[in-house]
Amino acid sequence: MTKNIEPPQKKENQQVSRFSLDTWAVFLALGLSLLIWAGVIKHVPW
Amino acid sequence: MASSVAVVQPVSESFLKRFVDLIPGVLLLVAVGYAGKIIERSINQYGKAHHLTLPNIEYVLWAIVIGLVIANTVGIPRIFQAGIATYEFWLKAGIVLLGSRFLLGDVAKLGGISLVLVVIEIALSLVFMTWLGRAFGLSPKLTTLLAVGSSICGVSAIIAAKGAIDADDEDASYAIAAILSLGAISLFIFPLIGHWLHLGDQSYGLWAGLGIDNTAEATAAGALYSDAAGKVAVLAKTARNAMIGFVVLGYAIHWARKEGTEEVGNKAAFLWKKFPKFVLGFLLISAIATAQVFSKDQLVSLANLSRWAFLLTFAGVGLRTNIRELGKQGFRPFIVGAVGEVVIAFLTLGLVFGADKILR
Repeated sequence: MTKNIEPPQKKENQQVSRFSLDTWAVFLALGLSLLIWAGVIKHVPW
Repeated sequence: MASSVAVVQPVSESFLKRFVDLIPGVLLLVAVGYAGKIIERSINQYGKAHHLTLPNIEYVLWAIVIGLVIANTVGIPRIFQAGIATYEFWLKAGIVLLGSRFLLGDVAKLGGISLVLVVIEIALSLVFMTWLGRAFGLSPKLTTLLAVGSSICGVSAIIAAKGAIDADDEDASYAIAAILSLGAISLFIFPLIGHWLHLGDQSYGLWAGLGIDNTAEATAAGALYSDAAGKVAVLAKTARNAMIGFVVLGYAIHWARKEGTEEVGNKAAFLWKKFPKFVLGFLLISAIATAQVFSKDQLVSLANLSRWAFLLTFAGVGLRTNIRELGKQGFRPFIVGAVGEVVIAFLTLGLVFGADKILR
């Protein structure tokens, strides 16, 4: 039973870290840009 | 049913736990960075209220100094460490967002000049560092790691090269410690020399981007000089980062032939794996901004988001620098790194002066 469960668990764990840190940073930046362009985020103060 | 729960639950739990573990450290980055911003504003307001001409010390320096003081006095409790390590993530997100402040034509012009300088800088640095490492009797792999770290992009390049040439952990930590400590020193020395030489924003930015190894320190050293110099420093450093795959591939092939280990199979796949993806994100945002997709207000918001991301990065630069730990590392790798850095700094300064004539 344990043997049946372990391999997919490893697979799932690998899928969690499928993208590199760089790629996640690009996704975040593009996502935020999209929200600004769509008007969801109206103004970011500094 | 039971087995599917048993499979899925640990994954989501571990993901959630990893996310929760990041929160204290990220909050500390925000607190330290924001404290730097408050100090900058307070000093400016005090100067104005009392009609005093006080030096404008940017939040960048305050955030780094506060971080350094915390890390080297009370220390960083374990609970904060995972979140502090995210400073590299914020740096890369900040660089991608900074792409909105560049028109593609500027990227092509300045990036093109940067690329030419980068190729010259990398070639000369690799040759010089390899010679220096041999002269000081360092192991060939430690020499390779120091050469890659000081010619391209610091820690990321060392980590990429370590895996590719199968170097020891000890060699990698020596090289990383040397590059980090020299980066911390450069961060303060570059702006002083830049002001002393009366370098323009563009020249100084190019110099910081070419001469300082780690991306976070190069970005901070640029921002310490001026906003415009910070932009150019990031662009030059990004051009340098783009070369990482090619140099690491070259070393991987060299070491595989030398040690008779497995050759690199698919070279294109290797290059893609090692290529820093944030460079593509930066170019994409720059292309979108050039196509005038964003309004003026939206561009201001994107630039401010980039500043917030850098604020967290600068706080992280200070918080992760442990002077005592750096001092414990080997003396010879540090000397090789230091001599190399000084020579590369002079070399890149010469290249910048040459490029300045072309840019004018």
